[in-house]
Amino acid sequence: MSENWLLKVQDLSVHFHSPRGVVHAVDNVSFEIKPGETLALVGETGCGKSVTARSILRLVPEPPGEYASGKILLSQDQDQSIEILSAPIKAVRAIRGERISMIFQDPGKALNPALTIGRQLAEVFGEHRMDMILENAGIEPDKASRADKMIAQQRASFLQIRLFSLLRSKKGKALQKSIDDAVARALADTGIPNPRKIMKSYPHELSGGMKQRVMIAQALACDPDLLIADEPTTALDVTIQARILELIQEMQKRRGMAVLYITHDLSLVREFADRVAVMYAGRIVETGPAVDVLASPQHPYTQGLLGAIPHRRTPRGQLAAIPGSVPQLVSPPAQCHFASRCKWAAEACKSVVPLLNSTETSRKVACLRFDTAEKLSVDIGDMPARAEMGEVAAE
Amino acid sequence: MSSVSKQNKKSQQEKSRTTALSVKWARRREVALEVLRNPLTVIGLVIIFLFLMMAAFAPLLVEPNQPDPYQSPRDWSNIDAAPGVAGHILGTDSTGGDVLYGIIWGSRLSLQLSLTVVLFTLIFGTIVGSIAAMRGGKLDNLLMRIVDVFLSIPELIFALAIAAVLGPDFSNIILALAAVFWVKYARIIRGEIIRVKQADYVAAAKVVGDSQWNIYRKDVLPNAATPLIVQATLDMGNVVLIGATLSFIGLAQAGLTEWGALVSNGQSGLLAGEWWVSTFAGLAIVLWALAFNLVGDGLRDVLDPKTEGR
Repeated sequence: MSENWLLKVQDLSVHFHSPRGVVHAVDNVSFEIKPGETLALVGETGCGKSVTARSILRLVPEPPGEYASGKILLSQDQDQSIEILSAPIKAVRAIRGERISMIFQDPGKALNPALTIGRQLAEVFGEHRMDMILENAGIEPDKASRADKMIAQQRASFLQIRLFSLLRSKKGKALQKSIDDAVARALADTGIPNPRKIMKSYPHELSGGMKQRVMIAQALACDPDLLIADEPTTALDVTIQARILELIQEMQKRRGMAVLYITHDLSLVREFADRVAVMYAGRIVETGPAVDVLASPQHPYTQGLLGAIPHRRTPRGQLAAIPGSVPQLVSPPAQCHFASRCKWAAEACKSVVPLLNSTETSRKVACLRFDTAEKLSVDIGDMPARAEMGEVAAE
Repeated sequence: MSSVSKQNKKSQQEKSRTTALSVKWARRREVALEVLRNPLTVIGLVIIFLFLMMAAFAPLLVEPNQPDPYQSPRDWSNIDAAPGVAGHILGTDSTGGDVLYGIIWGSRLSLQLSLTVVLFTLIFGTIVGSIAAMRGGKLDNLLMRIVDVFLSIPELIFALAIAAVLGPDFSNIILALAAVFWVKYARIIRGEIIRVKQADYVAAAKVVGDSQWNIYRKDVLPNAATPLIVQATLDMGNVVLIGATLSFIGLAQAGLTEWGALVSNGQSGLLAGEWWVSTFAGLAIVLWALAFNLVGDGLRDVLDPKTEGR
């Protein structure tokens, strides 16, 4: 295999300390993302996919969270890499937004209600692109005064800004214009009409789709190499979902960045992801090219997931479900977590943790009995794509 | 035709001149208008305004007593005079002190008391609560247990104990109240910050690489501060109530024109039918506390709709 990777997660375990015991939210998860690639992390609620995503940016609160083991490597220039979990927080902050960015499930909650859109985006430029702001305002970054820098970085208080614009009105105006231009450009880039007007609005004045666009503009302001999209469309209207996803895809193509989708929407996976990693109860149970995994799932859980999608041949009132429920992750036993719900489970499944083993080139599955389970592959024609769902709705 | 397009252009120019700052002010104006829609709040504001005017123009309303304007001038010829007697509109107390003079100059003391105590407790409580919430862990535990100790003793008793130890002086009352009131703010802001910290927009700010201090300043504090504003307004009234209680039991200097002290002065005459001293001074206290409570409640209804009707 080539060494060409952007992000490498190795044996990541994240534990949460709760009064009831240690919750193993993420358990020895490993995967890598290549530059420009789209990876989808799929699983049901509480399977640890969001925690995994947040770990990449070291956003899991410690305590109660704890990075129990593992490494997260981000490749840098000249075959160098930085280990995010052990790096000093300052280095991590330099990575956030600049190299790895993230958009959240609910754009309504991910924008500060007390600031205008313009101020919030200006923040990003102040943090990562101060020199650019200064240059565009006609100030040489080396010669900028402390006050100039504070204004450019959005660190100046209300009074300081007022004072500055009084004393050095020309410079103040140039700086403000430079900031506004940068923000407007970022907003216009995501297809927001009339960005100058949007900049002056507060988040509550915008629609959900618009807010998500603003979020995307904010996340992509500094051209990150990797965008983590944590269920980017779950909180949006169905009519907007496809547009937002297409926007992300378009931005991805234009900038050549990698995208990590966190989702439970398999039709999204099929349409937008190159590779998929299926998570169950804190572990990755199956990975591989999205097309292959969806066409012939090898892990019984993936099969169950795919089988649970209704399609037009499903008789009314007969939705398939995986029997049983997700096991408690408080001090879990060393076994296959899916064993209690799996119809292929054998004695061995309850005494060993199955490891991710290669089955074909570029495919891996963590199942002791995958030879047996494989026979139950789902016909790819049964997987409804978005277009097809639209058709059904139209009928 | 051309004039129409010119007008359009002009209005567009005007529009583009509305900056982010003016948007902020527009929003503040909205909040202010909404607050003013409640008649009770308006009544409270009017009373507060009158008290402020009274405090500000005290020397013009009544001649300040020399050398200490905060001691009522003694009119020994008119002791316990009823309201209206010989130029004493609200009567005099048992030492010949004019009640109206006491109320007017007492408003200055009340203002001084509530402003110092509320400002100090607001700032100190916010700092302690913020440190606890932002740092978390053991420091949070330590600070909050200290706060618990303070909270476990009733406000009045605690302030009383401190003021009694420090000795009878008005500035000691201020100190005692400040020592008691800050814990509330620490608790409120801590809870709010912990709530706000979990918001996605804080995570989003972290994601774009903001520093902890910047996140606190721009994302956390502005979204956590509203209950503090409400509490501070309410406390402007509460502080005077408790302060008056302390001076009522004699923890202010003798003869001070403090409302609580006036009530205490007039108390002995109450049974003898000399009702005016305690009543008018008490009325001042009640009005002050009531006004700030009305405004505080009005603010809460607008700023914090969740707690409506609590």
